[in-house]
Amino acid sequence: MSADAPVPIQRDEILGIVRDRLADILEIEPSGINEGQSFVDDLDADSLALIELVEALEEELSDRTVGFRIDDEDLADLKTVRDAVDYVYERSRSGAG
Amino acid sequence: MLPIAVDAMGGDKAPGEILAGVRLAVDDGIPVVLVGPPGLEHDADLALIAASELIAMHEEPGAAVRNKKDSTLVRAAEAVRDGNASAMISAGNTGATMAAALLRMGRIKGVKRPAIATPIPVPGSTPTVLLDAGANAEVQPEWLVQFAHMGSVYTRQRFGLPEPRVGLLSIGEEPGKGDSLRKEAFKLLADTNGLNFIGNIEGRDIMSDSVDVAVTDGFTGNVTLKTLEGGMKAIVKALLAAFASDPAYAEHAEALMPALLPLYASLDPDTYGGAVLLGVDGVCIISHGSTGATAMRNAIGVAAEMVEQRMVDEIRAAIA
Repeated sequence: MSADAPVPIQRDEILGIVRDRLADILEIEPSGINEGQSFVDDLDADSLALIELVEALEEELSDRTVGFRIDDEDLADLKTVRDAVDYVYERSRSGAG
Repeated sequence: MLPIAVDAMGGDKAPGEILAGVRLAVDDGIPVVLVGPPGLEHDADLALIAASELIAMHEEPGAAVRNKKDSTLVRAAEAVRDGNASAMISAGNTGATMAAALLRMGRIKGVKRPAIATPIPVPGSTPTVLLDAGANAEVQPEWLVQFAHMGSVYTRQRFGLPEPRVGLLSIGEEPGKGDSLRKEAFKLLADTNGLNFIGNIEGRDIMSDSVDVAVTDGFTGNVTLKTLEGGMKAIVKALLAAFASDPAYAEHAEALMPALLPLYASLDPDTYGGAVLLGVDGVCIISHGSTGATAMRNAIGVAAEMVEQRMVDEIRAAIA
């Protein structure tokens, strides 16, 4: 067994991470967050809260996907929880940082 | 006490006036560490945390903090987070100062959103603390309750008032006045224990001795703050112009100066050393962009006082 081969992160796991970090930042229950919700319209997340989320995700996922980073120019496209989960999933599968 | 980290490059008059203010504070006996470009310590003869980048006034706060990791603002916030400084102060980009403090120090557990608290001078009395003065353009009613708690702690510690009177800024004193946000917040505040809530206040009450903490959303608070600042400047300018309009008035104006100058000083925002970002896990002072030596000295004094009085722990206890 190779110790170097990272285990790919599953989409459900990413959803759980996004939900937990977002709940910490917004001081709400994780169970109250679902994929269809808009960050701004449904969760009252302002731009700084989204940057808190991005930095938390980068920190948590950098161990699993070396150099994982969410590009600033992509942030404007992440409008819902689903957008964020899909984005992180795709980036992690492509090994992108 | 650990030194207070001062962003040497933040503000319209940086670094000259900032360094001059730091020297005055050091003479007052307060330990300070500058955060700025390498080499600055030789000119200033002070301790330095090196930071090679600067976040300009016009830069988008979140992106700037994310991308300029060796900026003075980010390094100052990290110094507090890492236990190398007891507080941070900047007269630079307000949004970026807030972002750096929030992202590096983090929020106090339970705080929904940090808020900017600004003392508004009141002639002949202690200032009224206005919050939020610009951190959150849109808010929820329950956030205003937290602002009231945080503002009460700050006012108690800063101005020694045991039970600060908290007013909700609205368009009439009756409970039913205002928009839906104000009406809902009124109910929540009235039902909250541990606050000396006196009901709605109007804009004209802020500079009177009828309230100690004026709670509002960041949009309204910022408009209020800038309106009061502009109004006070206009009045001073008009008075000086009136004094100068006829040589016969000059002599009388001169006679009034001993009464007018202390009043002017008491109404000068520089006297109160800037705004405080409440709700982050550390002391963060946001000074005005036009901060000069006196204002910086006072801001450092306020930071030291808030550290010594363990303001962050008091807010933590009030929010828990």
